[in-house]
Amino acid sequence: MSIDLSIILPAFAAGLCVLLSHIPLGKEVLNRGIIFIDLAIAQFAGLGVILAYTLGIHADDHWQIQLFAFSSALVGSLILNLAEHYFKRHGAHHQEAFIGICFVLAATASILLLNSNAHGGEQLKELLVGQILWTEWSQLIVPAFVGLLVFGLAWRTPSVFKGFWFYILFSLAITLSVQLVGVYLVFSSLIIPALFANLINVKGNHTQTIVALLLGCVAYLLGLLLSSVLDLPTGAVIVWSMACLSAVVLAVFHALKGARIG
Amino acid sequence: MSYIQSLLIAVLVSVSSWSAASSTLNVFACEAEWAALAHRIGGDKLTIYAATTAKQDAHHIQARPSLIAKARRADLLVCSGADLEVGWLPLLIKKSSNNKIKPNAIGHFMATEQVELLGKLDKVDRSMGDVHAMGNPHVHLEPKRLARIGSKLASRLGQIDPSNNALYANNARQFSAELSRAERKWQPLKQQLAGKRLVVHHDNWVYLTDWLGIKVVAHLEPKPGVPPSTKHLSSLTAKLAKTPANAIIYGSYQDPKAARWLAKKSQLPSIEIPFSVSNWKQPTALIHWMDDVLKRLARATKG
Repeated sequence: MSIDLSIILPAFAAGLCVLLSHIPLGKEVLNRGIIFIDLAIAQFAGLGVILAYTLGIHADDHWQIQLFAFSSALVGSLILNLAEHYFKRHGAHHQEAFIGICFVLAATASILLLNSNAHGGEQLKELLVGQILWTEWSQLIVPAFVGLLVFGLAWRTPSVFKGFWFYILFSLAITLSVQLVGVYLVFSSLIIPALFANLINVKGNHTQTIVALLLGCVAYLLGLLLSSVLDLPTGAVIVWSMACLSAVVLAVFHALKGARIG
Repeated sequence: MSYIQSLLIAVLVSVSSWSAASSTLNVFACEAEWAALAHRIGGDKLTIYAATTAKQDAHHIQARPSLIAKARRADLLVCSGADLEVGWLPLLIKKSSNNKIKPNAIGHFMATEQVELLGKLDKVDRSMGDVHAMGNPHVHLEPKRLARIGSKLASRLGQIDPSNNALYANNARQFSAELSRAERKWQPLKQQLAGKRLVVHHDNWVYLTDWLGIKVVAHLEPKPGVPPSTKHLSSLTAKLAKTPANAIIYGSYQDPKAARWLAKKSQLPSIEIPFSVSNWKQPTALIHWMDDVLKRLARATKG
């Protein structure tokens, strides 16, 4: 199968937008030990979309739908923020369980709402399961802006991420990226590069961010190329290329380090 | 990086050899049945690509690079239409930036626009949801419509490629005759099936049941994608107790769980029916597939 740059480039740019916001957010998620928060927030965004349909808002009213998705994600993150304060005092190890409960509640609330809406299910699937290959340049303006904003904030004033602002930026970034690239790629872009930068053990906040971003970019590019050559679904191939690339680089890195010491 | 370089070189070589190959028309078929029909009408004058198989739900599709690449090179798009592919086809056409297959272009052929549709709604109401108001899209399940779509496809192919016009028209006539012969052969099966009562998964069999005179007693999943409620299931079992059905059927792309559940409850046979052809490259694929569908139905509803 052919490699066609006009197919690959918009998808790669979408990946870059997602990485810009998700790498700083992912580092914070790892630090706080709230790995599955993105799945819960994405589910809340989906719930907002279904709610909009149920209230009779038409799929063509793009901005209204987006507003519902973001507001719903924000409500979800408010709940999770309150929970974080609560669990700080009452044993942090239960927080992940609470996030999981929020996830299933949001997911099943969608099913209950869909019961009264004849074809909402089909539309929901298209919205939540964004497919990176369908990306068009015009769709990237807002995600690029949000990506640069989050990345810039994290670079210059990391303290912003400590408080409540983390949740606002997080819901905004997740709502956008889930529709652009789908929930699997969102999870991978959030966790894998950040974890990789931790494990490869480079010092310094900025160096870690750069290493994570570099890994993410190479993984997206490799995934897009492999998916073109092998003709396999693109999102899934990128997830695998990101995981495998991290594993290989880590193995080589540690082998070299071992050889130098020995 | 040298791995990627060698990969790129390998790909470039394969591309150049590929593009040298064909002077035929490129046809992009959304579903296997339309690939089979195009193959029957156009034979080796066409290079056909089928985007989905009988095992896949044509509502949803995973985006692969080849989809866009094939759509880009397509001279003709052959799909069901009537919103069946609404989740991905408009995006794909847009991404392909191929003017030949845009809506209203000559290379944009929708099967549901060639025949009379069932299940059209005169009045569209929000409470019904806003999809499928155009009518039921699964038109390939009935031979008369299939023959008509075949002849319309032949004249469309003739417009795009006038030098082979006579061949396309001739193949369409032959296909129509084959279908009529097959229908005569199916007459005993049809008589056996007429008046039988079926439970279906959802409303995707209307053309088949309408043609065969089969009565649809109930739907397992009235809203596609949303699991049925307990109330619906208990009303189903109550209905079946009062007015029994002969069998429960589900398509090859559908999850058999609900059908199996009801089959256990009601002691009815539940059977899988292939929703489309399995090997569209065979010239007799469509007729063999219909034959298979009828025989399976007859077996399931016997006695």
